[in-house]
Amino acid sequence: MSASLEQGIHAFKEQIDAPVATFFSSCVRCGLCAQACLFYTETGNPEYTPIHKLEPLRRVWKQEYTFWGRYAKAFGLSKPVTDAELGDWEKYVYDSCTMCGRCSMVCPVGNDIAYMIRRMREGMAAAGHAPEGLVGATRRAITIGSPMGVKLPALQAQIRNAEQESGLKIPVDVQGADYMVLLSSMEIMNFPEFISAIARIFERANVSWTISSEAFEATNSGIQIGVSELAAELVQRVVDAAEKLQVKNVISPECGHAYFAIRWEGPNLVGKAFNFKVVHILELLDDLRKQGRLKVSSKETQKLTYHDPCQITRRGGVAEQPRNLLNMVAENFVEMPEHGTMNWCCGAGGGVSTNERADELRLKAFKRKQAQLNAVQPDALVSACSNCRIQLEEGLEENSMDIPVLSLTETIAAHLSDD
Amino acid sequence: MTTITNDVKFRQLVSGLDAARQRALAARFVGHVLDLCSDERVTRVAQVAAKSDASASELATALHTARTAAIESHNRCGAECDWKDQAGYFVARAAVAAITPADQMPGGPAWQAAVSSRMARTCESIDTAAENAGTEQDYQYRTLAEFLEPR
Amino acid sequence: MTPAELLMWVRGPALQFATVVFVVGVAVRILEILLLGRKPDLAEARGSEVIGGLRTIISRSIPDRGTLQRSSFNVVAGYIFHAGFFLALFFFAPHILLLHDVFGVYWPSLPTQFIDALTVVSIITLLAVLFHRITHKVMRFLSRPSDYVAWLLTILPLITGYLAFHRVGLAPPLLMALHIGSVELLMIVFPFTKLMHAFTLFLGRYYNGAIAGRRGVNA
Repeated sequence: MSASLEQGIHAFKEQIDAPVATFFSSCVRCGLCAQACLFYTETGNPEYTPIHKLEPLRRVWKQEYTFWGRYAKAFGLSKPVTDAELGDWEKYVYDSCTMCGRCSMVCPVGNDIAYMIRRMREGMAAAGHAPEGLVGATRRAITIGSPMGVKLPALQAQIRNAEQESGLKIPVDVQGADYMVLLSSMEIMNFPEFISAIARIFERANVSWTISSEAFEATNSGIQIGVSELAAELVQRVVDAAEKLQVKNVISPECGHAYFAIRWEGPNLVGKAFNFKVVHILELLDDLRKQGRLKVSSKETQKLTYHDPCQITRRGGVAEQPRNLLNMVAENFVEMPEHGTMNWCCGAGGGVSTNERADELRLKAFKRKQAQLNAVQPDALVSACSNCRIQLEEGLEENSMDIPVLSLTETIAAHLSDD
Repeated sequence: MTTITNDVKFRQLVSGLDAARQRALAARFVGHVLDLCSDERVTRVAQVAAKSDASASELATALHTARTAAIESHNRCGAECDWKDQAGYFVARAAVAAITPADQMPGGPAWQAAVSSRMARTCESIDTAAENAGTEQDYQYRTLAEFLEPR
Repeated sequence: MTPAELLMWVRGPALQFATVVFVVGVAVRILEILLLGRKPDLAEARGSEVIGGLRTIISRSIPDRGTLQRSSFNVVAGYIFHAGFFLALFFFAPHILLLHDVFGVYWPSLPTQFIDALTVVSIITLLAVLFHRITHKVMRFLSRPSDYVAWLLTILPLITGYLAFHRVGLAPPLLMALHIGSVELLMIVFPFTKLMHAFTLFLGRYYNGAIAGRRGVNA
């Protein structure tokens, strides 16, 4: 894939729509977005002010889509965006932003900065200024089917393990199942117990489900790097598999960006609405709970708190379900001081954890979560995203905090009722 | 000697053991997959887990070491997978399970150590493309049966 | 040019010019935005875009507690000078008379002493806002020349208005000319600066709330 400044600027131009133009027109440089961004609050570096991360895009907007901007450009009075500048901006757009969207929630003039960052990444990638780790991950996702290179035999081995552990058959390629489950490479590699957890839950709740051997990957690296064509290809694989198996729903697992990618961007990437529904695993679990099909026979007694994965709660709209489920399975569930749609990002999503260069910054950003945990003093921390989970574990370890991190789905499975 | 042929029985028998015996059993499971892990720290943790007279502070230190080893060895998100390294990750997780106090480990230390050890073996099979399905499980069934034999 | 002639000019041709630039400028800016359009969203909606959008237009005026704590000066000072400017502009009796000449509508005015005091508070607040912009590291880092120009254009009508009302320093016609002139300057430069937020923020908040509302999130 050849890249150039020209392609980058062209991509920027294509990505500027009415909302983007409105947002840039409205910014009054009040700095409130900085105070909402953990990369600023934990470093004190004003360069991490969210709106600043968009500066090259703003100049392209001004020079291409405003009267006086075009006028100034024609007379050589404006400052063009250079390749070197985009190179400098890579660390703002990819290292210090997870697209968590907290800035978008506080901007007084209503700017959705995360929306703009997503679009800016298209230009950055087209210009050849995306982090190496993400380029590799995307390449593997396209050629192998998984950003981490997890191939079908590996999944099959993990499935066999899960079958042993659960004593249940894991359905693969079952025609006409109600739910087709996607899995993120992170889960398959680091938390494969998720597979046996859902197998047990679905068996108990009598859910008809399957995994597709042709499209099992949930992670969409194309969105993280910002190359819509590749992101679309990854989504299309899932669509093809879902249509081939004629499933009614596709389940997105415990991975934040995977959910946002398939649920909210998916149809727009492939250019047509899906003829199946997309649900997050927590949505399904909560539905089952409401229907009385999901029951627990014991509860967690330790003090739990919940980290909201940004792409699931704030950007995804699945905020009530984890709370309903926690109230079912926990006796002592306590919210963080800023929770739900105003919870703080773990610091690792949107490609940040894939990017080695961002390691130090990412662990600094974790201190925001540390502060929240210090306020709550929980015995354990629950979440619903494997990437958040790894970051939380690393951050807790780095700061010598002895708090286990639990998956909500696995916690429910551990307390599942026998009947 | 009892014959164990499935996980239902396995889990049932394991959960009947007290905390100290679970740890000892878990240590055996970990010991069997130690060759899949190149991290010296994990070996040391396994040794502590196997000690019947390990002190509370020794156990606490070992737990901390095991957790650190596990966290440092997982595969980075989006990075190319190395199943050999992942095997090491699961051995570390098995060590964590073995050394975690029983009341903090859902399912019990021995069961969790067993599961993680099997994962480690699975990773090895993925890495070497060699078929070894069920071998770790069989070893664990035999070991538990021997373990339960009255001395 | 005598003060009286200046005042005539400022009230006449200059005002016409400023009004045209203002109206056309704002219209062009908004048109430029709307012409870019927005692709339809094909993802199945969970909530309503329209309700979300309208909701956020209002709700975004209320900061969340964390933001209020972390950025208290910005929030409080922002409210004070915006309210002061707005109330002085629309609820000061002489202004209502002027606007009546243009739009043919009356509405009740606020007591002059209240507007007077509010103007002083607003001026002081704006001075504090400038100080904050210069001294706070994020504000200083973000600020461009146009931010300072916008600040000046905002404070001048308040200062000149106050001076004109109290007839301080110069001959009344000159003071009035300066006041009206400062407003005209604001009108002319307005469409080229961030002051456009006065109009575009409604659209921005709407988009934000609509995008989030579609996903079932109250933004």
